[in-house]
Amino acid sequence: MRWECFKQWVSTRKLNQKVKYLFLVIICIYLIVFLFMYTFVIRRNMFDYMMTSNMNTLVSIGSNLNGEFNNISQMSQLLMGEPSVRNYLKSPKIEKDNYNPEVLGALRNMMINIQYVSSIYLIRTDGNYIDASNSITYFHTEYLSDSEWIKDIYLKSGGYIVRVNAGGAFEYFSGRPMISMMRAVYDIDSQKRIGILIINLSEDILNESYQEVLDNGKHYAYYDENGQMLSKNEQVDEISRINITTQDYEQISVGGFFKEKVVSYYHVPNTPLRIAGIETLSLTKFVSKEILLFILFIILLTFISLSVLGFFIAHYITAPIQRLARSMSSVKNGWLQRVSLKTSKDEIGDLKDSYNNMLIEINRLIDELVENEKQTHRAEFEILQEQIKPHFLYNTLDTIAFLSLEREKEEVYSAIETLGSFYRKFLSKGSKQITLEEEIEIVKDYCKLQKLRYGDIFEDLYEIDESLKQIKIPKLILQPLVENSLYHGIRLKGEKGIIKITAYADEANLHIVVYDSGIGMSKSKIEALMTESNTKSFGFKGIIKRIRYYYGMEDIFDIQSEEGIFTEIDLKLPL
Amino acid sequence: MYKVMIIDDERALRNLLKVAIKWKDFNLCVVGEAESGIEAINIIDDIQPDIIFVDIRMPFMDGIEFSKLAMKRYPNLKIIILSAFSDFEYARQCIGIGVCDYLLKPIVKSDIQKNLIKIVEQLDHDPRQTQNEINKTIFNENTNIQNIKKYIMENYANANINLTSIAQYFGFNPSYLSRMFKSETGISMIDYITSIRMEKAMQYAAKGILMYRTAKLVGIPDPNYFGKCFKKYTDYVYSDYIKQAKENGI
Repeated sequence: MRWECFKQWVSTRKLNQKVKYLFLVIICIYLIVFLFMYTFVIRRNMFDYMMTSNMNTLVSIGSNLNGEFNNISQMSQLLMGEPSVRNYLKSPKIEKDNYNPEVLGALRNMMINIQYVSSIYLIRTDGNYIDASNSITYFHTEYLSDSEWIKDIYLKSGGYIVRVNAGGAFEYFSGRPMISMMRAVYDIDSQKRIGILIINLSEDILNESYQEVLDNGKHYAYYDENGQMLSKNEQVDEISRINITTQDYEQISVGGFFKEKVVSYYHVPNTPLRIAGIETLSLTKFVSKEILLFILFIILLTFISLSVLGFFIAHYITAPIQRLARSMSSVKNGWLQRVSLKTSKDEIGDLKDSYNNMLIEINRLIDELVENEKQTHRAEFEILQEQIKPHFLYNTLDTIAFLSLEREKEEVYSAIETLGSFYRKFLSKGSKQITLEEEIEIVKDYCKLQKLRYGDIFEDLYEIDESLKQIKIPKLILQPLVENSLYHGIRLKGEKGIIKITAYADEANLHIVVYDSGIGMSKSKIEALMTESNTKSFGFKGIIKRIRYYYGMEDIFDIQSEEGIFTEIDLKLPL
Repeated sequence: MYKVMIIDDERALRNLLKVAIKWKDFNLCVVGEAESGIEAINIIDDIQPDIIFVDIRMPFMDGIEFSKLAMKRYPNLKIIILSAFSDFEYARQCIGIGVCDYLLKPIVKSDIQKNLIKIVEQLDHDPRQTQNEINKTIFNENTNIQNIKKYIMENYANANINLTSIAQYFGFNPSYLSRMFKSETGISMIDYITSIRMEKAMQYAAKGILMYRTAKLVGIPDPNYFGKCFKKYTDYVYSDYIKQAKENGI
């Protein structure tokens, strides 16, 4: 149903609209294919690759950080090897608030040597401690008696643990976070635990760990074990959307189409830290500029090709057809005018030519039709004129006038009666047909009147089958034939002649034969009788045409003649 | 008294004209009639009419053709054409050849009378009478009579020849030529031409040629008039002559 509707819709569009819609569809298909390719092939590959690379980056940042911690740890080993430090830790009893410049020096020295160190605390088992610090740092000493807190350090038995803000024991005045490396210190000889070393590092160590891999569209941030962001960074809002859990790592994607970003986090081993990274998906990273240019070029080329094609179609096909159609549509207004467009000599030109030829043909046919119609009217008019026969009437009147002056009254009366009778039948209006008997009566009256005019120059004879007298025939076909016999046959011969009318029937036809003993006709004259160019025999042709039209048949008469002897016209009228 | 000739193929009309018009009242008299233009050409020199009524539609030579010929030979002749056709084309042709009048049938007496008054007036003012005796030419009897006879022998088949046309051809006054010819040969030129034609016709008849053809061959293409001439000359009807010739021949 829909499809039918669509087909209907398409078929009713104009040609140039169709072309436009076709181009639109092609462009849409291009875009769809391109998007499909991007979404399901390129984008996926990019995404997979980015996931992996992003995680790898996070892992390597983590190991950098751990490496840094290890370095610091090793440095701290040196510190612990210092005799002054040992002595300070090992001495059984010391004064509160004692001043030990040697230890302090070692600590200061350490701070200088190691980057990022903001403070170092050397804590004796009795709770006394010496510290060196770059910034104002609070030490909540009550943590020293917290067995839970201290257990983590002791469990490592000399190895370091990493805690943010030393698990809450330290706090910067500035409120910024610090990373604390904490370890127990053992006596080398007795292997007895003699103190705790805590090195607090500034957050710079974290920032510094990913400086190398920072790149356009990449951002990183650290979180502590509670999901608290450590380093403040205004560009990493989106990172905060990732839900940091106890899992070692996780990856999600955020952002909309074409602005997609991969967000990952990774639990740095041996630390409570989570490094989180965000990376923007970028086509240019995966597809080289050249290829991108190439694709762009192909798209451009396609558009140019389509435009050229469109121009070509418009200029060479649709526009000429439109002009042709406009020109042709004038025919609707009744103008059968030829199209005089300038067209190329291609199919459109052929179309125009054959259209013009068709119009010429139509015009010719119309002319022919009009001409035929005119001829028919003319013929009808002439028949009408023939019917009235003015010269026959006038001449007969003159004849009767003479009779009235010179002859008996009865003769004049008879002549006028005959004339009246003749015209009454002759002009009888109405149907185009008449009985054979009536037609014969007309001929008899006519002959009588002609004898009055020309004297006894002919004799008219009739041989009519009685049974045929009521047959209907087309009106006024006999009298003109008799007139021809008289004027073109008998009178030209100069001798008394015979006009004989015979009617009989065979199986198929009623034959009416008009015979005269006039001068006859040559073969060539008979042949020329019915030709178009013969204007002399107009009356005869008119009768034959009328009979043919009446019966719808061609073969309706025969002519026989011998020159100087006779002419015989045999009308064969179908019964 | 001016002379009137009527040419019409219908006897009734000729008679009607003769009877209906009181010719004498116009100082006219009907001196001859002809059934066709052919007949008229043959007898016109005998009759020498001043006025001719001619029907436009006749077989063999119609009224227009006859009028053209007559106007050439008899410039002073007044011709009135009678026609049953109120056809402009006919009327135009008639005026073109200098015909006096064009009257429509059926004839109306008053129209004809009006025209006759006009024509008689014209004839009264016409200095025609004096023309007759001008144009006399020295006549060398022997050679010219021979030439004329030879000319007739060669041209008898031409239906248009008559005394006037021959006179014009040889540069004579027709009446003078007529007199000279009769005095030289003892027979009028018209009778001479007819006799030549009839002798030929008898030859054709002997061969059994049909009358209407013989009529054409001897220069009298109107078979009716030819029949009359033949009867007058031979005392036989043409068809009877053929029969007789056949019987005699066998």
